[in-house]
Amino acid sequence: MESTHITQDQADEYAIGSLDPEAEPIVLYHMGICSECRSRVQAAERVAAALALGLRGHKPPRGLKQRILVNVGIARPHPLMRAFRWSRAVAGIAAVFVAVAAFTGMLSVRGQIHSLRDQNAHLSTQVEDALSTRVELVAQAQRLTDEENASQELRQTAKAFQDLTLAFLSPESSVADVISKEEAAGAQGRLVWDPDQSKLWFVARGLTPRKVGETYQIWVNSGGKWYSLGTFNSDASGFARYDTVLPQGLKTYESAVVTIERAGGAPERSGPSLFVADLSAIRK
Amino acid sequence: MAWRSNPDSPAFRTITGQVELVLPVGGTYEDRAAWTDEALMAAIVAQDPFAFAALYDRYADLVYATTLRVLADAQLAEDATQDVFVRLWRRPHTFIAERGRFISWLMSVSRNRAVDELRSRGRRRRREGPGLEAPDEQASLLIPDEREDPQHSVEVREEQVLVRRALRDLPAEQRLALEMAYFGGLTQLEISVTLCEPLGTIKTRVRLGMQKLRRALEDQR
Repeated sequence: MESTHITQDQADEYAIGSLDPEAEPIVLYHMGICSECRSRVQAAERVAAALALGLRGHKPPRGLKQRILVNVGIARPHPLMRAFRWSRAVAGIAAVFVAVAAFTGMLSVRGQIHSLRDQNAHLSTQVEDALSTRVELVAQAQRLTDEENASQELRQTAKAFQDLTLAFLSPESSVADVISKEEAAGAQGRLVWDPDQSKLWFVARGLTPRKVGETYQIWVNSGGKWYSLGTFNSDASGFARYDTVLPQGLKTYESAVVTIERAGGAPERSGPSLFVADLSAIRK
Repeated sequence: MAWRSNPDSPAFRTITGQVELVLPVGGTYEDRAAWTDEALMAAIVAQDPFAFAALYDRYADLVYATTLRVLADAQLAEDATQDVFVRLWRRPHTFIAERGRFISWLMSVSRNRAVDELRSRGRRRRREGPGLEAPDEQASLLIPDEREDPQHSVEVREEQVLVRRALRDLPAEQRLALEMAYFGGLTQLEISVTLCEPLGTIKTRVRLGMQKLRRALEDQR
């Protein structure tokens, strides 16, 4: 093709756009080097353009001219369009501000969240410390309560011994010897009757502590019937001290015994007797 | 002649109801309306906005009709028309007056731009269909009545009358082949496949059609 000129048919096909795509670059190349063929193709293009020229004119849409003139920069946009663009620009700027504000707010909130988390952790530590302190205080309060109870118990014991001492010293009180039975061999006991304090004491030593499920129970006989005065136990050293108020309503006391009964006391005496006391000499 | 537009100038003048053009010193739109195409293009090379507006008013309908004929889509045709005129303003030197008349160049540019768009969108098949299904409609487009488009110059109107008469005298099958090639962007092989005609027949129709059209235009001139 480079060495041959473009035929009229090729020029026509090229001008009308129906030339084989493979032949098109060859035609273009030859047009670049051959002015005669270039003129032939251009003449064919003018004929082909007549096809378009033969079309009935079609009025373009309204606004196209304005759009084109604005596009090439030789006309101002229509006021409404300018207003629209301004509003769009303002909206865009506003959107940017909103986005920045939102981002800033997000950062601020994030910082506040971190701060609150730190505060929360600090408060949690303080709460834990407070709880530990509270536990210690409760423990100390419990210890104080225990000590107070122990002190109270000691005061009661001291009071009891003081009362017992007063009972021994009182001229109105009576002391009954207690006879140990075989089950309480080696043990010694006394029964103190004090009308001034309206109380009686039973004191013993060498008395074996009862095993679990058993207790000592003291009884008094009046008119041939036994009345329980209560239960007690001895300590590890074998010492026992029991006091109770004088039984009301009983006119006479013949004797008293200490028996071994089940824990909590028995309604009727059933266990073996350890001590026996004669109460006939006691003044009523 | 070397007028320069100045968009920031306060001296605006309304040419139409919507357009505000910068008023160059020493000239008006009405002056350009009487100029030849080539004179307007020379002024556009010097960035004369009034010349550009005058050229648009003169040929926008033909450019739009061409792109609409190729693309068969009003929105696409509008965009293509805009591209043609924007390109004309920004690269007016691509038109060389010595190579031919402006109207032929403008029609070629419009057609090529529309065909490029058509091919890029792969809508060739869409264009083939209506061409066969509605030949009468196509004929009416190619062979319109001989009413003149009043906005065109006398020279262009005379040219249109000659072209329409020449097209009317073409055999229908030759006119259809030319139309499918020019407005449909089809190669001769594609036309033969579309019309179920031998390739040689299509080549003959295109050749004869172009020959007759050329001869008719030369004779009538």
